[in-house]
Amino acid sequence: MYKILEKKEIAMRNIWYKVHAPHIAKKVKPGQFVIVRAFENGERIPLTPVMWDKEEGWIGLVVFTRGKTTLRINTELKEGDSFLNIAGPLGNPAPMEKFGKILAIGLYTGVVEVFPIAKAWQELGNEVHTLHVTFEPMVILKDELEKAVFKHTVETVSIDPNKSFPENMKNVTARAKEKVREMIENLKPDLVFMVGPVGDQKAIFEVVKEYNIPMEVDLHPIMVDGTGMCGACRVHINGEVKFACVDGPSFDAYTVNWDELIARSGYYRDLEMKAMQLYMEKLQAQGGAQ
Amino acid sequence: MMVKRKIIKERIPTPERPVEERLKGFMEVNLGYTFELAVQEAQRCLQCPYEYAPCIKGCPVHIDIPGFIAKLVEYKDEPDRAVKEALRVIWACNTLPATTGRVCPQEDQCEMNCVMGKVGDKVNIGKLERFVADYAREKGIDDELLGEMLPEIEKKEQRVAVIGAGPAGLTCAAELAKDGYHVTVFEALHKPGGVLVYGIPEFRLPNEVVEKELEKLKRLGVEIKVDHIVGKTVTIEELLNRYDAVFIGSGAGTPRLINAPGVNLNGIYTANEFLTRINLMNAYRFPEYDTPIKVGEKVIVIGAGNTAMDAARTARRLGAEVTIAYRRGEEDVTAREEEVEHAKEEGVKFEFFLNPIEFIGDESGRVKAVKFMKMRALEEKDAKGKRKIEPTGETVILEADTVVIAIGKTANRLIVNTPGLEVEGGVIKVDENLMTSIPGVFAGGDAIRGEATVILAMGDGRKAAKAIHEYLQKKAKESA
Ligand SMILES: Cc1cc2nc3c(=O)[nH]c(=O)nc-3n(C[C@H](O)[C@H](O)[C@H](O)COP(=O)(O)OP(=O)(O)OC[C@H]3O[C@@H](n4cnc5c(N)ncnc54)[C@H](O)[C@@H]3O)c2cc1C
Ligand SMILES: Cc1cc2nc3c(=O)[nH]c(=O)nc-3n(C[C@H](O)[C@H](O)[C@H](O)COP(=O)(O)OP(=O)(O)OC[C@H]3O[C@@H](n4cnc5c(N)ncnc54)[C@H](O)[C@@H]3O)c2cc1C
Ligand code: SF4
Ligand code: FES
Repeated sequence: MYKILEKKEIAMRNIWYKVHAPHIAKKVKPGQFVIVRAFENGERIPLTPVMWDKEEGWIGLVVFTRGKTTLRINTELKEGDSFLNIAGPLGNPAPMEKFGKILAIGLYTGVVEVFPIAKAWQELGNEVHTLHVTFEPMVILKDELEKAVFKHTVETVSIDPNKSFPENMKNVTARAKEKVREMIENLKPDLVFMVGPVGDQKAIFEVVKEYNIPMEVDLHPIMVDGTGMCGACRVHINGEVKFACVDGPSFDAYTVNWDELIARSGYYRDLEMKAMQLYMEKLQAQGGAQ
Repeated sequence: MMVKRKIIKERIPTPERPVEERLKGFMEVNLGYTFELAVQEAQRCLQCPYEYAPCIKGCPVHIDIPGFIAKLVEYKDEPDRAVKEALRVIWACNTLPATTGRVCPQEDQCEMNCVMGKVGDKVNIGKLERFVADYAREKGIDDELLGEMLPEIEKKEQRVAVIGAGPAGLTCAAELAKDGYHVTVFEALHKPGGVLVYGIPEFRLPNEVVEKELEKLKRLGVEIKVDHIVGKTVTIEELLNRYDAVFIGSGAGTPRLINAPGVNLNGIYTANEFLTRINLMNAYRFPEYDTPIKVGEKVIVIGAGNTAMDAARTARRLGAEVTIAYRRGEEDVTAREEEVEHAKEEGVKFEFFLNPIEFIGDESGRVKAVKFMKMRALEEKDAKGKRKIEPTGETVILEADTVVIAIGKTANRLIVNTPGLEVEGGVIKVDENLMTSIPGVFAGGDAIRGEATVILAMGDGRKAAKAIHEYLQKKAKESA
């Protein structure tokens, strides 16, 4: 059991948790993740420690409300409650090298994964430029990133209430593509790194590819155990099957089979929607989400 | 006290749930003996002398089989006492009898050479073992026996770390705890049990049975740390600084995939993922449980071991039409006889001499068919004594919207990557005392054998515990 020492809403649908997990705080490196199980009948989901304190034994997580599990965590767990299980750190740490000028991009809550890596790269002597593209009310980690890297840029898109959420998301994708192109032209980076929804990763990769700049991506396939024993997270990298949880999560964007990964990520969408809907109905019957 | 009795040729059958009822859920199929039936079956045993009894020789941990069976007959008028004495005999060699009684391939082990087989049916040793364990658990007799054993344990100062809470690790931990050592088990998943909880389904081995067997370990003072992945959360090197010895029982958890086009299509699961979702995460109870699973109408399971049978029977319970496709012939099937029988009763279809060469998908990226190469058997045998096979050149396509790959597994990669740990053919290399290339680090179970059996893993756990005990005594003397 891992106690929640602090819980607060840091932006719309983005909740920060400071959690007691000394076994992870002691070991975690930028680029690694954890697998969390919050409820007895719950599922295991991957999340990323955004910051941590070895001595005090805590890690910080930001949970974006996406489907049932994240909504359930964000509504049911209170400060002082506990996560049942947190396993990790998992995956390989990000490579800590002097690449030179780096453009690190985070879409939506993906910036959580960018933060520890970008910070470490900057400390190592790289010139790190970070870009966060998201909806206006969802900006997070702005002050932290401004302090941590050479230059942090926030690009926001406003939510048009007359349009559906997926339509609104298209605007984020479009803005991200424009901004990345502009920044590449200006900065001529030696490396581009990106975390965000897989469809957006592919779209941004297509832009970067035009400039022939090396690009790393943190992949987000479906995971179950996170320790290499099930293969749910498998992806084709350069034509070879790799398990993202033990071989990644970071890969060279030029080697990823994007269309396969996009298809695999959507496999459970109907069941996920069903679970979410049933849960929302339950919440409504109880008097609504907090 | 040999009484001359009449030979009863036929086995006393164990009651089973009817097929229609079985397919509605995950309830245990075999209901086991009652005390009366167990005594009747026990009376069939000829009580071969301990030194000769072929059943004992066939049991990988050498349980005194006639010995425990005799107790059931001897105290047949006092059921509780009969079970307690029988359990005492079993526990001397085996700490998880409720499990082994259910999942051991008895036909290839203890029952293989049972003398009764010459005149009639072999004695149903597995079901008797299971009966003793189940009855003891239900009546709290195992707790009682444990209570008698605990005060006799002399606590020692030395500490041992065990990696993996499967049958190998748990057995090693129990034996060392009985010797008085401080034992800590490090388990990667959120629940201990290894394959017993994430692999073998409830209709064969209820999770509750495993959980109860594990409570005994806690009473022995064994500490289990879940969510601890050795190689990530803590390394073997660090464990060696904090513990006097280490046992690796991390199993063979890495699934083998088929190197064929389309293997990453949606709907293609490794057996590990499929069974983990069902057993560990209870996905068959979605949305009451949050983990989803998708099983279509037509399922193909590739392979013919226990894992394949479990996956196939699980898919039947989720309403699918299921075919097992195996590249060899019917006589080469490696699963337990009882499970193959049950699978057939439950309507699982079998196709032999088919080897998958391509997975065919639809526009959405979901599998819709599998293309197989037809194989044929040769006279020549391979190293394992199985007939060799070769492709015929003829192919066949079978439709499927879900495919489960159950063709085997290799050792966990996070462990195998430990610096200084010698590995051969995907498994950890050990000497005759089960010590690895790192002094003080021992290993056993599937981690050194590849996918094998529960009882072999437990046998390794016991043997390693003994070796660790000797190693630590020597170490203590040297430092004294
Ligand atoms: C290595 C790794 C690290 C991660 N770190 C974090 C983290 O630090 N913080 C965090 O909040 N999340 C993180 N995630 C993502 C997180 O695991 C998921 O948000 C979570 O599993 C969602 O669970 P759920 O049940 O709430 O939603 P689900 O039920 O899985 O999905 C809900 C809905 O979202 C939609 N959906 C699913 N995937 C996408 C997508 N890629 N783009 C758009 N819509 C989608 C589906 O249609 C579905 O209806 C990480 C993932 C990985 C693999
Ligand atoms: C579906 C299925 C059905 C089977 N049916 C039968 C049967 O009927 N009869 C039979 O005799 N055998 C059967 N087997 C085989 C049997 O289950 C195994 O031989 C046995 O479980 C091996 O035990 P083990 O302790 O070596 O490994 P496991 O049971 O695999 O346990 C290993 C444990 O170590 C943990 N672990 C792995 N890596 C790490 C790490 N880095 N750090 C910490 N922990 C780690 C794992 O999570 C796991 O809990 C079956 C196997 C499967 C998969
Ligand atoms: S071989 Fe058969 S008959 Fe002989 S002791 Fe063993 S179980 Fe009894
Ligand atoms: S999540 Fe199971 S192997 Fe990666």
